[in-house]
Amino acid sequence: MSPQDLIGGRPTRIDAFDKVTGQALYPADLRVEGMLFGRVLRSPHRHARIRRIDVAGARVLPGVIAAVCGDDIAGPGTYGLVTPDQPVLSRTGGKVRFVGDAVAAVAAESPELADAALDMIEVDYDLLPAVLGTAAALAPGAPLVHEDRSDNVLHSVHLRHGDPAAGFAGADVVVEGHYTTPFVDHAFLQPEGGMAALGADGRVTVWVATQWAAEDLRQIAHALALPAGQLREIVTATGGAFGGREDISVQIVLVLLALKTGRPVKMVYSRPESLVAGTKRHPFEMHYRTGATRAGKLTAMEIRMVANAGAYASTTLAVLNTAVTVATGSYLVPHVAVDAVAAYTNLPVTAAMRGFGSNQPNYAVEMQMSKLADLLGMDPAELRRLNLYRSGSTLHTGQVLGAGVGASRALDSAVAKGAALGLRPGSGRNQGSKRRGVGVACGFKNVGYNLGWDDFSTAVVEAYPDRATVKIGACEVGQGVTTAMAQLAASRLELPLAAIHVETVDTDRVPDSGSSSASRQTFVTGNAVLRAADEASRRLAALGPNPPGSALPIVAEVTYHAPATYAMDPATGQTQSANYSYGYGAQVVEVEVDTGTGEVRVLQAVASHDAGHAINLTQVEGQIEGGFVMSQGYSLLEEYALQDGRPKTTTLATFLMPTVLDAPSEIHAIVIEEPDPEGPYGAKGIGEMTMLPTPGAIGAAIHDATGVWLDDLPMTPERVLRALGSI
Amino acid sequence: MSVHALKLTVNGEVRTGEVGGTTTLLEFLRDGLGLTGTKDGCSEGDCGACSVILNGQAVKSCLVLAAQADGGTVLTVEGLSLPGGRLHPIQEAFVAAGAVQCGYCTPGMLMAATALLDSNPSPDRAQIRVALSGNLCRCTGYVKIVQAVEQAAAAMDRDR
Repeated sequence: MSPQDLIGGRPTRIDAFDKVTGQALYPADLRVEGMLFGRVLRSPHRHARIRRIDVAGARVLPGVIAAVCGDDIAGPGTYGLVTPDQPVLSRTGGKVRFVGDAVAAVAAESPELADAALDMIEVDYDLLPAVLGTAAALAPGAPLVHEDRSDNVLHSVHLRHGDPAAGFAGADVVVEGHYTTPFVDHAFLQPEGGMAALGADGRVTVWVATQWAAEDLRQIAHALALPAGQLREIVTATGGAFGGREDISVQIVLVLLALKTGRPVKMVYSRPESLVAGTKRHPFEMHYRTGATRAGKLTAMEIRMVANAGAYASTTLAVLNTAVTVATGSYLVPHVAVDAVAAYTNLPVTAAMRGFGSNQPNYAVEMQMSKLADLLGMDPAELRRLNLYRSGSTLHTGQVLGAGVGASRALDSAVAKGAALGLRPGSGRNQGSKRRGVGVACGFKNVGYNLGWDDFSTAVVEAYPDRATVKIGACEVGQGVTTAMAQLAASRLELPLAAIHVETVDTDRVPDSGSSSASRQTFVTGNAVLRAADEASRRLAALGPNPPGSALPIVAEVTYHAPATYAMDPATGQTQSANYSYGYGAQVVEVEVDTGTGEVRVLQAVASHDAGHAINLTQVEGQIEGGFVMSQGYSLLEEYALQDGRPKTTTLATFLMPTVLDAPSEIHAIVIEEPDPEGPYGAKGIGEMTMLPTPGAIGAAIHDATGVWLDDLPMTPERVLRALGSI
Repeated sequence: MSVHALKLTVNGEVRTGEVGGTTTLLEFLRDGLGLTGTKDGCSEGDCGACSVILNGQAVKSCLVLAAQADGGTVLTVEGLSLPGGRLHPIQEAFVAAGAVQCGYCTPGMLMAATALLDSNPSPDRAQIRVALSGNLCRCTGYVKIVQAVEQAAAAMDRDR
């Protein structure tokens, strides 16, 4: 395979053979001699204090080997990616803070026995008033979700750029809108699961499907007060992640049970448990005022956003910060005010999900742009084109964009392809009960950790003249990072792809490459792999044509740090550099709205995304197609619904995601390559950006078809009918 | 609990076992026979990850009692490869088309697609979409999965 075919070509996935033959082992597939089965007892209450907890009854059952609660944990017993405020299990006198909070755990000889053991655990709860939404959370005198805090505000951000009052004074028109988005579950097909076993050397090994093994170990070590060296994590085949495996699920409880029993313990969530206990995308409530001239130039934006942080902190702080850095979407706005707050509630834990705080503002911004185009009588693509970011644009964070801004190319290519397919926004409304419309929207999101977090990755390349091993801690969650990294290494070592072996992520054998999140692995670990491969290649060459066996393999280890970013000024939100790279995209969507039933079908889609440079074209297309359909679900179907804080959609029959019949039969994926000067071969990130334009494009298409705006996600048939005035 | 003696043909081999009255075919395949290629995504028939071919028809094995399969013929993903270990055209097409991402829906998708191609060697895109509509995929957006089935149909047609 020539280098041209290798980078930007379509090599097949390294892990595909194992996955099509059923040989790939996911957590539920693990089984070892003497294995026990773990289960967790979860809170049925939204907010309560634990007066008494007695696990002794469970231990009485024959075949139940261990039953534990938080009182059995020697260490702090808490975890969390940013702030360790989530209890692993409940302690006497402690609290449960949402329906699904973990209370106690058991290990038994069979799954059935483990279930029976849960019924024998006695817990006396003193119910507390529950905080069931952000308005209630922020009201004066609200009950405290965390009583060690003075209020329920987890985080707030205030940004001022330019002179917003002057910006609105200079506006000929102002569009104002209020938008809401729901809780959403990642709903990866493989429910959370793992296994832990205590070795003869006293070390505990965890096998788990995760996004970041090294961080899992840090959190386990903290919660259980164990030396990090006592722990090892091996990453199994992982059935999707989408941000939902960035937080701890089974890991700490498994280690606790393995230590208590001395036997291997496996635990796999049922689907209802996955839906109830798993983290969610943040619901946002957003108020946008957008000012523009008659010619369509944006003059000002005033933005208020309130994020529902749920019961525990997780990554909410970073999600809210990210939302603020992309609050104006893909558009240059000279005068901007943003006030954002995230509030604790007695609702599910909200955390990372594909897009990480950018999906919600992007939806609101794009609805505002569509309304503005409608008000001004402008072509919606032209209005967007006029205001898109370009190299040299000053963002509302104060950052000046460098080279590699593919926003205009993405929009132009999407609109051109749409036109070739006969899809033109504003091409007129249909009569009758089945109305078709076309919408266009853009999307914008950062690559990598931001705002002062050092984003780095370490890679090791062990090279022989005819083969090499790549050791990285980048988790393969389905996105294809293993194959992409092998391609990058092969390209610099001038070896065929088949000569590159990428090691399984095992914290005893590979370095820390950071999380498989934030669309960062291609950029950050990719750069580390390229540099390590270059060093190995140089040192190999220096050995001459016949290197002595004693000099082999050449071991090159490189830690790559992405360009520095800086925290926002606490008063103004301004920063020299919020993010080191961004991804850009645009989509054109055709929908058919049934005005009798309110159902919206997506008929055709064009999705154009700037990948900087596609390392593996098939995989980049796969991200675009998959991201589009996931975001179609976010737009039209998906809501993790609660009634008074109690979950209603605890199965995949009620938490609806798109089937193949919901997805359009054609998604025209366009890969734009506007190189990032720092990216490997110019590559940026692609995983999350693919979701961003979709809700705005679908919202615009529904308006094009029917004349009504849908300002709340998901745009369900009921909401469509209400907007139409039919119910 | 009632116990049923089972005898059925799985991937061409006669297998026997004893199961409880509530044991599903999925549990029997995974726990009884150790055939973990068939996946459990929801245990109640919503996701299709557990699809296998029972007596020529794609079924969700979490919705079939093992006792109901007594005397029957079952094909799972482990039995899909051709003699000599060569991949079945549908497996080859999934690899070549990029239809595999996380891989968790893949075994069920492969079995649903195989059942379709066995009964209809030249399906059109609408028929493929209907045949796969009981199988959820969260990664791919289904585009390359549908393309893989189309490519497999073409390849199998060439081989006939």
